[in-house]
Amino acid sequence: MQPILELIAILAVIGGTAFSITGVLGLVRLPDVYTRLHATGKVGVFGVVLLLIAALLLTPLGLGKGLVLIVLLLIGGPVTAHALASAAYRIRIPLKHALRDDLAETSEPEP
Amino acid sequence: MSAVLDLVLYLALAIHLGLLAVCVWRVWRGENVIDRLLGADVFATLVMAVLVLVALLTLNSLYIDVALALAALGFIGTIALAKYIADQQIF
Repeated sequence: MQPILELIAILAVIGGTAFSITGVLGLVRLPDVYTRLHATGKVGVFGVVLLLIAALLLTPLGLGKGLVLIVLLLIGGPVTAHALASAAYRIRIPLKHALRDDLAETSEPEP
Repeated sequence: MSAVLDLVLYLALAIHLGLLAVCVWRVWRGENVIDRLLGADVFATLVMAVLVLVALLTLNSLYIDVALALAALGFIGTIALAKYIADQQIF
Protein backbone atom coordinates (compact mmCIF):
# COMPACT_ATOMS: atom_id res chain seq x y z
CA MET A 1 0.00 0.00 0.00
CA GLN A 2 1.46 3.36 -0.88
CA PRO A 3 2.57 5.23 2.25
CA ILE A 4 0.77 8.34 1.01
CA LEU A 5 -2.62 6.63 1.18
CA GLU A 6 -1.91 5.29 4.62
CA LEU A 7 -0.80 8.69 5.89
CA ILE A 8 -4.04 10.25 4.65
CA ALA A 9 -6.02 7.39 6.17
CA ILE A 10 -4.29 7.78 9.53
CA LEU A 11 -4.98 11.52 9.62
CA ALA A 12 -8.60 10.98 8.57
CA VAL A 13 -9.18 8.36 11.25
CA ILE A 14 -7.65 10.58 13.92
CA GLY A 15 -9.79 13.51 12.78
CA GLY A 16 -12.94 11.40 12.70
CA THR A 17 -12.31 10.08 16.18
CA ALA A 18 -11.63 13.59 17.47
CA PHE A 19 -14.97 14.79 16.12
CA SER A 20 -16.76 11.79 17.60
CA ILE A 21 -15.24 12.50 21.00
CA THR A 22 -16.21 16.17 20.94
CA GLY A 23 -19.73 15.28 19.79
CA VAL A 24 -20.35 12.79 22.60
CA LEU A 25 -18.64 15.10 25.09
CA GLY A 26 -21.12 17.78 24.04
CA LEU A 27 -23.93 15.26 24.47
CA VAL A 28 -22.92 14.79 28.10
CA ARG A 29 -21.78 18.24 29.17
CA LEU A 30 -24.21 20.67 27.55
CA PRO A 31 -27.10 22.07 29.64
CA ASP A 32 -30.26 21.41 27.66
CA VAL A 33 -31.63 19.45 24.73
CA TYR A 34 -31.23 22.08 22.08
CA THR A 35 -27.51 22.60 22.63
CA ARG A 36 -27.02 18.85 22.77
CA LEU A 37 -28.65 18.56 19.38
CA HIS A 38 -26.09 21.01 18.09
CA ALA A 39 -23.21 18.99 19.48
CA THR A 40 -24.30 15.57 18.33
CA GLY A 41 -24.75 16.79 14.76
CA LYS A 42 -20.95 16.83 14.57
CA VAL A 43 -20.65 13.13 15.36
CA GLY A 44 -22.84 12.07 12.49
CA VAL A 45 -21.59 14.52 9.90
CA PHE A 46 -17.89 15.00 10.51
CA GLY A 47 -16.93 11.96 12.55
CA VAL A 48 -18.22 9.22 10.31
CA VAL A 49 -17.55 11.12 7.08
CA LEU A 50 -13.86 11.54 7.92
CA LEU A 51 -13.62 7.86 8.78
CA LEU A 52 -15.28 7.11 5.47
CA ILE A 53 -12.73 9.16 3.59
CA ALA A 54 -10.08 6.86 5.03
CA ALA A 55 -12.20 3.82 4.15
CA LEU A 56 -12.69 5.06 0.58
CA LEU A 57 -8.97 5.07 -0.04
CA LEU A 58 -8.04 1.74 1.45
CA THR A 59 -10.85 -0.74 0.98
CA PRO A 60 -11.23 -2.26 -2.51
CA LEU A 61 -14.62 -1.56 -4.16
CA GLY A 62 -15.35 0.85 -1.31
CA LEU A 63 -15.28 4.05 -3.39
CA GLY A 64 -18.84 4.09 -4.76
CA LYS A 65 -20.48 2.81 -1.59
CA GLY A 66 -18.57 5.27 0.55
CA LEU A 67 -19.67 8.24 -1.53
CA VAL A 68 -23.31 7.15 -1.37
CA LEU A 69 -22.97 6.73 2.39
CA ILE A 70 -21.44 10.20 2.72
CA VAL A 71 -24.36 11.72 0.79
CA LEU A 72 -26.87 9.80 2.95
CA LEU A 73 -25.21 10.98 6.15
CA LEU A 74 -25.06 14.59 5.02
CA ILE A 75 -28.77 14.44 4.19
CA GLY A 76 -29.94 12.47 7.21
CA GLY A 77 -28.04 14.33 9.91
CA PRO A 78 -29.66 17.75 9.72
CA VAL A 79 -33.10 16.26 9.05
CA THR A 80 -32.95 14.23 12.26
CA ALA A 81 -31.67 17.15 14.30
CA HIS A 82 -34.45 19.38 13.00
CA ALA A 83 -37.14 16.79 13.71
CA LEU A 84 -35.87 16.33 17.26
CA ALA A 85 -35.63 20.07 17.91
CA SER A 86 -39.17 20.76 16.72
CA ALA A 87 -40.49 17.80 18.73
CA ALA A 88 -38.67 19.08 21.82
CA TYR A 89 -40.11 22.57 21.35
CA ARG A 90 -43.56 21.17 20.67
CA ILE A 91 -43.68 19.42 24.04
CA ARG A 92 -42.36 22.63 25.61
CA ILE A 93 -39.00 21.51 26.94
CA PRO A 94 -37.55 24.63 28.67
CA LEU A 95 -34.55 26.42 27.15
CA LYS A 96 -31.95 26.80 29.89
CA HIS A 97 -30.04 30.14 30.06
CA ALA A 98 -32.14 31.40 27.14
CA LEU A 99 -31.69 35.10 26.44
CA ARG A 100 -34.49 35.28 23.86
CA ASP A 101 -37.10 32.86 22.52
CA ASP A 102 -37.88 33.96 18.96
CA LEU A 103 -40.20 31.08 18.17
CA ALA A 104 -42.58 32.00 20.99
CA GLU A 105 -43.43 35.38 19.45
CA THR A 106 -44.01 34.13 15.92
CA SER A 107 -46.13 31.01 16.41
CA GLU A 108 -48.01 29.98 19.55
CA PRO A 109 -47.50 26.14 19.72
CA GLU A 110 -50.90 24.44 20.14
CA PRO A 111 -51.39 22.91 23.65
CA MET B 1 -1.10 -2.32 6.10
CA SER B 2 1.56 -0.73 8.20
CA ALA B 3 1.64 -1.27 11.94
CA VAL B 4 0.99 2.39 12.63
CA LEU B 5 -2.32 2.27 10.74
CA ASP B 6 -3.35 -0.86 12.63
CA LEU B 7 -2.50 0.76 15.95
CA VAL B 8 -4.47 3.91 15.09
CA LEU B 9 -7.44 1.83 13.94
CA TYR B 10 -7.52 -0.29 17.08
CA LEU B 11 -7.20 2.82 19.23
CA ALA B 12 -10.05 4.51 17.35
CA LEU B 13 -12.16 1.36 17.74
CA ALA B 14 -11.54 1.31 21.50
CA ILE B 15 -12.42 5.01 21.77
CA HIS B 16 -15.63 4.50 19.81
CA LEU B 17 -16.66 1.58 22.04
CA GLY B 18 -16.15 3.86 25.03
CA LEU B 19 -18.29 6.54 23.39
CA LEU B 20 -20.97 3.91 22.77
CA ALA B 21 -20.98 3.22 26.50
CA VAL B 22 -21.47 6.93 27.17
CA CYS B 23 -24.42 6.94 24.77
CA VAL B 24 -26.00 3.96 26.53
CA TRP B 25 -25.60 5.83 29.81
CA ARG B 26 -27.27 8.86 28.26
CA VAL B 27 -30.18 6.73 27.01
CA TRP B 28 -30.47 5.15 30.46
CA ARG B 29 -30.22 8.42 32.41
CA GLY B 30 -31.81 10.91 30.01
CA GLU B 31 -33.70 13.80 31.65
CA ASN B 32 -36.55 13.79 29.17
CA VAL B 33 -37.70 11.67 26.28
CA ILE B 34 -35.93 13.74 23.64
CA ASP B 35 -32.59 13.22 25.40
CA ARG B 36 -33.07 9.50 25.39
CA LEU B 37 -34.07 9.55 21.75
CA LEU B 38 -31.05 11.69 20.95
CA GLY B 39 -28.81 9.22 22.77
CA ALA B 40 -30.26 6.38 20.70
CA ASP B 41 -29.68 8.34 17.51
CA VAL B 42 -26.06 9.06 18.38
CA PHE B 43 -25.71 5.40 19.29
CA ALA B 44 -26.74 4.45 15.74
CA THR B 45 -24.29 6.94 14.28
CA LEU B 46 -21.45 5.61 16.41
CA VAL B 47 -22.31 2.05 15.38
CA MET B 48 -21.86 3.25 11.81
CA ALA B 49 -18.45 4.62 12.75
CA VAL B 50 -17.50 1.28 14.30
CA LEU B 51 -18.65 -0.51 11.14
CA VAL B 52 -16.46 1.73 8.99
CA LEU B 53 -13.52 1.10 11.29
CA VAL B 54 -14.05 -2.65 11.02
CA ALA B 55 -14.21 -2.25 7.24
CA LEU B 56 -10.85 -0.48 7.44
CA LEU B 57 -9.34 -3.11 9.71
CA THR B 58 -10.40 -6.11 7.64
CA LEU B 59 -9.99 -4.26 4.32
CA ASN B 60 -13.34 -5.68 3.24
CA SER B 61 -15.87 -3.18 1.95
CA LEU B 62 -18.82 -5.40 2.92
CA TYR B 63 -19.14 -3.56 6.22
CA ILE B 64 -19.69 -0.30 4.36
CA ASP B 65 -22.82 -1.87 2.88
CA VAL B 66 -24.05 -2.60 6.39
CA ALA B 67 -23.33 0.98 7.42
CA LEU B 68 -25.15 2.15 4.30
CA ALA B 69 -28.27 0.21 5.28
CA LEU B 70 -28.04 1.49 8.84
CA ALA B 71 -27.69 5.08 7.63
CA ALA B 72 -30.66 4.76 5.31
CA LEU B 73 -32.99 3.13 7.86
CA GLY B 74 -31.68 4.34 11.19
CA PHE B 75 -32.75 7.93 10.96
CA ILE B 76 -36.27 7.05 9.78
CA GLY B 77 -36.96 5.48 13.17
CA THR B 78 -35.76 8.57 14.98
CA ILE B 79 -37.92 10.84 12.84
CA ALA B 80 -41.01 8.64 13.30
CA LEU B 81 -40.54 8.65 17.08
CA ALA B 82 -39.93 12.41 17.12
CA LYS B 83 -43.13 12.95 15.14
CA TYR B 84 -45.02 10.65 17.49
CA ILE B 85 -43.73 12.57 20.50
CA ALA B 86 -44.66 15.92 18.96
CA ASP B 87 -48.15 15.11 17.67
CA GLN B 88 -49.19 11.96 19.58
CA GLN B 89 -49.84 10.30 16.19
CA ILE B 90 -47.59 9.47 13.25
CA PHE B 91 -49.88 9.79 10.25
